Amino acid sequence: MNWPAAPVLLPLVTALITLFWGRPGMARRWVTAFSLLLQFAVGVGLVMSTYPGRVLVLGLGAWPAELGIVLVVDLMSAVMVTLTALVALVAQVYGFIEMRWAISHPLRIPLIQFLLAGIQLTFCTGDLFNLFVAFEMMLISSYALLTLEADDWDIKHAFPYVAVNLFGSALFICGCGLVYSLFGTLNFAGIARRTLEMERDGVVTLVSLLLLLVFGIKAGLFPLHLWLPNSYPTLPIPLLALFGGVLTKVGVYVIIRALGTVLPHDLGILHAWLGGFALVTAVVGGIGAISRPFIRGILSFHIVSQVGLMLLAVSFMTPLGLAAAVMILWHNLAVKSSLFLIGGTAALLNRSDDLSRMGGLWSRVPWLGVLFLVQALSLAGIPPLSGFWGKYMVVRAGLEAGEHLLVAGSIGVSVLTLFSMVKIWLATFWAEPDGVVVRVEDPRWRRMTGVVAVLAVVSLAMGLGAEGFSRIAIEAARGVLDQEGYVRAVEQFLGKTGGVTP
Amino acid sequence: MLGPPSFIFRSVVRFLFFLVNVFALYLLLRGHNLPGGGFIAGLASAISLILLSLGIGLAELHRVMRFDPMRLATAGLALALGTGLIPVGMGRPFLEHFDGYLEHVPLLGRVHVGTPLLFDFGVYLVVVGITCKVIFVLGKSTQRLVALVAEDAARYASPVERPIEETEEEGGRNGS
Repeated sequence: MNWPAAPVLLPLVTALITLFWGRPGMARRWVTAFSLLLQFAVGVGLVMSTYPGRVLVLGLGAWPAELGIVLVVDLMSAVMVTLTALVALVAQVYGFIEMRWAISHPLRIPLIQFLLAGIQLTFCTGDLFNLFVAFEMMLISSYALLTLEADDWDIKHAFPYVAVNLFGSALFICGCGLVYSLFGTLNFAGIARRTLEMERDGVVTLVSLLLLLVFGIKAGLFPLHLWLPNSYPTLPIPLLALFGGVLTKVGVYVIIRALGTVLPHDLGILHAWLGGFALVTAVVGGIGAISRPFIRGILSFHIVSQVGLMLLAVSFMTPLGLAAAVMILWHNLAVKSSLFLIGGTAALLNRSDDLSRMGGLWSRVPWLGVLFLVQALSLAGIPPLSGFWGKYMVVRAGLEAGEHLLVAGSIGVSVLTLFSMVKIWLATFWAEPDGVVVRVEDPRWRRMTGVVAVLAVVSLAMGLGAEGFSRIAIEAARGVLDQEGYVRAVEQFLGKTGGVTP
Repeated sequence: MLGPPSFIFRSVVRFLFFLVNVFALYLLLRGHNLPGGGFIAGLASAISLILLSLGIGLAELHRVMRFDPMRLATAGLALALGTGLIPVGMGRPFLEHFDGYLEHVPLLGRVHVGTPLLFDFGVYLVVVGITCKVIFVLGKSTQRLVALVAEDAARYASPVERPIEETEEEGGRNGS
């Protein structure tokens, strides 16, 4: 019965073990990798047990649902848990290969585990205040990771991240207070039931706007994205893959969950605003990415663009639109992080990720080039790769909803994406400039490429098996939009415990 | 230590240290049903240690204390998590707590005891450990002492500054 808590407990226990066992070493690395594998297995188990639309509920401390905190896992949460664990596993193993244990930072492993615990709690929680706690766990670990191996230059660029997110947390706690005063509960199911019964009220829209603002800061929605593109490139590559692949997606997930499950569906003007801002975000991210001359910078700015595309799909608020958003979200988790890792491997070979000092990789390491091509074209939305299906669904959902401007914008953004991917490709793989050394004798790049290939296979499977994959996405989106079903599941649990502490 | 040593301040702080800790213990024990608890008790205890560090100096306190605050915090987290995990082993929901009564305790009679106290004690240790670590590291760095002593450095310091670029000529840092 404790399975909904397992994705949170495993990283916590691992963090404790690696904190007590403070000195770096090979055995410590094996323990971490094994734990991450276990977390992935738990995620797969959760997906299998929630697939036909079941909702797993756990009341922490055996308190009745309205008094205590509930953890609720449905298909959407379960898939997010699985993909996050997979990305974390790959990024962590990549980090192990990148750096010999003797020179690795002893606190990095426990901090990543605390970060994961926060992320997984965000996916599993069914309570607004608990969501705040999960955000704090995640953010505080990420502040520590950002500054762990940083010099003054890095810290200067990490500062906006810390400042903006602290401000966001303060807004979030205000939002929690307002929600409690308005609905009398912080439980997702409780809020959803009240909104189903309540008369439409301007205050609900206002509170929703506040929550959207908070989650928009976390996701990097224009004009709240400015903290992101300069702070992320300061991270070491494996952490960058984890941050860029997963952390901003947490914001998108929470927006999907809040708009789909918790808040009323007819917020009117709010969804139109979200659509407009999302389009601007996508365009600004795409253009910003072109302006950057180094791989980490390009990919970091790209996160903003992708987030814009997802939120654009969310703003249609139709089952198909939400399914499209979910599909891009999952595709992006796998593709984005693997692109960061491929960029890191290329930077290792060229000893720099500055585009003007790279080149000659296609003739020396063609397999890395193939991996990059697969992932980059997938991100740009070339059929039959995984990114295409999500974009196709966005276009279809947009045309059904009659949002022609947004559809045109989303197609235009794909061209921008393709442009910056081609820019990396030309400079890194295709160009053969004089005086650029490719250090193929460094043995690490083979193993790194092998590890990244795991994510590439996952993303290829998503693209080639689009039939089954989109079915899961549609099922997950249906589950998120099904407020009655969510409330029923939590209340059945409440009925089982009889409303009193057993 | 900042400024000239003051005998009065040192004496008062040494006395206050115990008084504040007794109050912290009181807050910890009453926290089960009344305002108080592990968090606030931990803050009180941490304040007592910070006062002591002002009185006798950080270097002296480090010699007297003989434990690493981070280890204390880790132990506290393990205790709190362990208390939460006990019911999981019994097939009950995570974090469920149990209580009961102890009869015929000398002087007190019937005493209400429960596992939340263990959990709270874990929280107490985490708060004391983290607060002390943060304040001591900041304090040492402002007083020109070495922030991490040798055993800290082995556990918490990075042997390298730059993860990727091991050579001096490095790129990728030219982002605006």
